Formats: sequence, C-alpha cells, structure tokens
Amino acid sequence: MVRRLMAFIGWAGRYVWSAWAGACGLLCIAAAWQGAHEFYGSFVLPSPVETLHEVAAILREPWFVRAAGETAVRSLIGFALAVGIGTLTGAIAGYSFAAMRLMRPIVTVILGVPPIAWIVLALIWFGSSGGSAVMTVVVAALPISFAGGLEGVATRDRALDAMARSFGGGMWLRFRTLTLPHLISYLFPAWTTTAGTAWKVTVMAELLSNTGGIGGELATARALFDIPRVMALIVAVVAFALLTEYALLHPLRDRLERWREAGLPWGVKR
Amino acid sequence: MRLVLERVGHAFLGRAVLEDFDLSLAAGEVVALLGPSGCGKTTVLQIAAGLLDPLRGRVQRHYRRHAVVFQEPRLLPWFTAHDNIAYGLRAAGVARAERAAIVAQRAQDVGLSLHDLDKYPAELSGGMRQRVAVARALAVRPDMVYFDEPFTAVDVGLKRILQDLVIEAAAREQFSALFVTHDLWEAVRVAHRLLLLPRRADGPVVARAIAGEPGRRRERDIFALVEAWSADPAFRELFDGRESVH
Ligand SMILES: Nc1ncnc2c1ncn2[C@@H]1O[C@H](COP(=O)(O)OP(=O)(O)O)[C@@H](O)[C@H]1O
Ligand SMILES: [Mg+2]
Repeated sequence: MVRRLMAFIGWAGRYVWSAWAGACGLLCIAAAWQGAHEFYGSFVLPSPVETLHEVAAILREPWFVRAAGETAVRSLIGFALAVGIGTLTGAIAGYSFAAMRLMRPIVTVILGVPPIAWIVLALIWFGSSGGSAVMTVVVAALPISFAGGLEGVATRDRALDAMARSFGGGMWLRFRTLTLPHLISYLFPAWTTTAGTAWKVTVMAELLSNTGGIGGELATARALFDIPRVMALIVAVVAFALLTEYALLHPLRDRLERWREAGLPWGVKR
Repeated sequence: MRLVLERVGHAFLGRAVLEDFDLSLAAGEVVALLGPSGCGKTTVLQIAAGLLDPLRGRVQRHYRRHAVVFQEPRLLPWFTAHDNIAYGLRAAGVARAERAAIVAQRAQDVGLSLHDLDKYPAELSGGMRQRVAVARALAVRPDMVYFDEPFTAVDVGLKRILQDLVIEAAAREQFSALFVTHDLWEAVRVAHRLLLLPRRADGPVVARAIAGEPGRRRERDIFALVEAWSADPAFRELFDGRESVH
C-alpha cells in the first residue's frame, strides 16, 4: 500500500515537473504576442498582461461562468457521442469486413462535407438550441474515432489470439485482455484530437447560431468591438482545451499504459 | 492413445502441405517432429491442437487439457510475467486467489525468481520470456503439451537448460508432448522417438525410436546418434539447407 502510494507520488511529481517544458513553449508564444502588440497597438491586439487582467475580470462574472458551463456541457456531450458512436462503429468495422465495406464510404462522405455546411444544416434541424453545437461536434469528430477503432481492431495481434484460443479463452476474455489494450493505444490520439475539436467546434457553432455559451459571448463582444474581451474569451477557450488534454486525458493514458514505459531504456522515460 | 491423427491432409491455397499423415501419441510419450523449414511441422501441430481444421482426415483427442508453447513467447506486453503465467488459468476459470500460488510454484519450476514476476515482458530477456511461456503452459496442468520450435531463438547454453526443464517436467507430470523442432540434437535429447516430415507432401515419413529415456541418456550416446543420423541418407533433407517449395 505504502509502496503504491510512493509510486503514485513519484509519478505525479514527474508529471507535474514535465509541465515546465510545456510552459516554456507557451512563454515563447506570449513573447511573440507581446511583440505584435507593441507593433500594432492595444486597439488591434491587447498585450498578454492586459488580456490576463481581462481574463481575471470575466472569471468573476456570473455570466461567464454560466456561458462556460453551457459550452462545457455541449462539448462534453458532443465528445461522448462522437467517441462512443465512432469507436463502436469503427470496432465493428474492424471485426467485420462486410461492415467495413459498408461504413467506409459513409465516413468518407461525412469527412467530405465541410463543417460549416453541417452548422447550417444543424441550424435548420435544431434551430437556436444547443443541439446544433452538439451535432456539429459529433459530425466533425466522429470520423477520427471511427478510424481509430477500425485500425485498432484490424491490427490486433492474431498470434496472441491463437495463443488465447489454445487455452480455451472465450470471446469476452480475448476482447478484454487482447483487443482492448491494443485498441486503447489507437484510441487515445483520437480522443485527444476529439477533445480539442469539441471545444473549438462548439464555440464556432455557438457563435454562428448565436445560441449562448462562450461562442455567443464572443459574438456579443465582437459586435461591441470589445477587443480585450474577445482576446480573454479566446484565451479561456484555449485554456479549457489544454486543461482537458493535460489534466484529464494524458494522466489517464499514463495510468492505463504503464506497461509501455517499462519497455523504455533508462533516461528516456519522458 | 492420447492423440491420434488419421490420414490427415491439408493444403494452403490449393498447395498440398500434408497428405495421409498418421500419428499416435501414447500417454507420457514425447515425440519429436522434425523436418526442413516450411515442410508443414507447424501445420501438423496446429491441426493436432485444434487451432486449424484439416481439410481431410480425422483427429481424436483423448485428454483433459492441452497447452501450446509457440516459437515466439507470445506474451501479452501489457501484463506482468505473473499475469502472463496466470493467463491459461484465467481462461480455465481458476479463481484469482488460487492462481497466485500456482504461478509462484511454476515460476520456481522454470527458474524465474519472484522478483521477475512483477516485470513486464519488455523488461525480460529473450530466455526469460520463453521461460514465462513454458510456465504459462505448465500452469494449467496439461496432460498434452505442444511445443513448436520453442527454443530456436535462444543460445545453445540456455537451450540445454530449457530442454532439461521440459524433460524434467514431462517425467514428473507424465504429460505427452509433440515437440516440433528442426534440430536433430534437440530431438534426440528430449524425445522417446522421432518423426521426420518429408519436404514434399507425398514423400515418405521417416520414423525412428531413440534408445533410452530422455534425461537419462549419456551425452556421448546422444552425440554418436546425431553423428550417425546426420550421415544417414534418410535425414539428408534436414541438412541440405533449402526451403520447401510445394
Ligand atoms: N496461413 C497460411 N497460408 C498460406 N500458406 C501457409 C500458411 N501457413 C503455412 N503456409 C505454408 O505451408 C507450408 C508449411 O508451413 P509450416 O507448417 O509453417 O512449416 P514449418 O513449420 O515446417 O516451417 C509453407 O510452405 C508455408 O508457406
Ligand atoms: Mg514452423
């Protein structure tokens, strides 16, 4: 128990420490931003510090908390649906050649339609409700999970499968112990991409359909020419996307894929 | 007889690999199946183990449970050595609490330390991985074990140790075994008798008894027998180094 705890603390420490490198990258962006600000002036591009002040200000406003909550719920529902449906259909396609032949073209068509066209359609179908944002997220992000599920199942190790069958292992055991761990390594990239897409597409759909949320606030701020607020909202969305990825998905992946780390030689662990 | 193959024939994509192949294995008997690369040894083993359905012929299995040791260890990379050894038990529905004791015992049987059991396959050497694979097979207490060139990839010194391990386990637990190999020395060490598959499916199968019990033979006798058979025209195909073309 104590050993487990120590191992966990060690892992958490390493994970947080690795954030330094990420912070350096962000500071480089901030420096470039400051340079552009000094060139164009505050009206076109407020400085990072001004923007941070504005972020701090809106964080205290009740309307922002409500808008952020709306956007979060919509992107979460969109994320869950896209990942759920995409992974499931992709996995089925991976198992069944016939299903793959049937579903591949459908996904290609979905991919071919530009997201902006989906927003227009969603607006017509769902009107000015959150449904249009959710639908846009689902359609925009579903193909990635589909591809991940398909590849993951299709590239499962047949030799391991034969081994499991030689011991009389049933379908369910083989799926859980052989296919699923392999599948997860294909799904994680799909999930991180989907998480990022979900935030961005939700905001975009909200802005275009004027259905509240951060996108709605962005539309209002733009109409009022409140540039610092526009910047603050953008920074907030980016922060949410980064938070989802680095506070939620990456730690989860690290925990699930510890066996991968075991194979790395010393010194290259991260 | 624990295993009987009668007039078994198989073809891949229309190319005959086996024709009218017969084999019977008595209780506690270890038979080595030899042959040049690509002659169909793995195919025979897969048919016998029920991993492949033969196109023709009949397979009768009169045993409770078998296990297979493959050419590659075939360990699950996301499981520790402990969980890999327990895999067959898990498939057989043995409760977790019982599994731990069996795994510890089998790890000891194949010369793995308790410390190694917490490691993932990526952290083990090639020889240790194959030990884990052997332990996984023995863990289910099989009365029939299929070995498919299990020690081809390990160096000679280790090979001898692993062979002795198998010989010991077979004598102790009285399982029958079909031991596929392309190494005459290995066959003569581990088996009671050997079968040599021909390169062409319609060629003759050579059968030879090996005097004495595996594990009790003197190294000198083994060496002399390998020498003699190496010069025997019946074994020529084994040494001409060509791949089979059907
Ligand atoms: N799944 C397969 N599909 C097509 N051909 C196969 C397949 N498996 C084996 N073969 C062919 O059958 C022959 C015998 O193979 P195998 O039993 O693996 O030989 P061995 O184990 O003696 O080296 C080879 O020529 C091989 O190319
Ligand atoms: Mg083979």
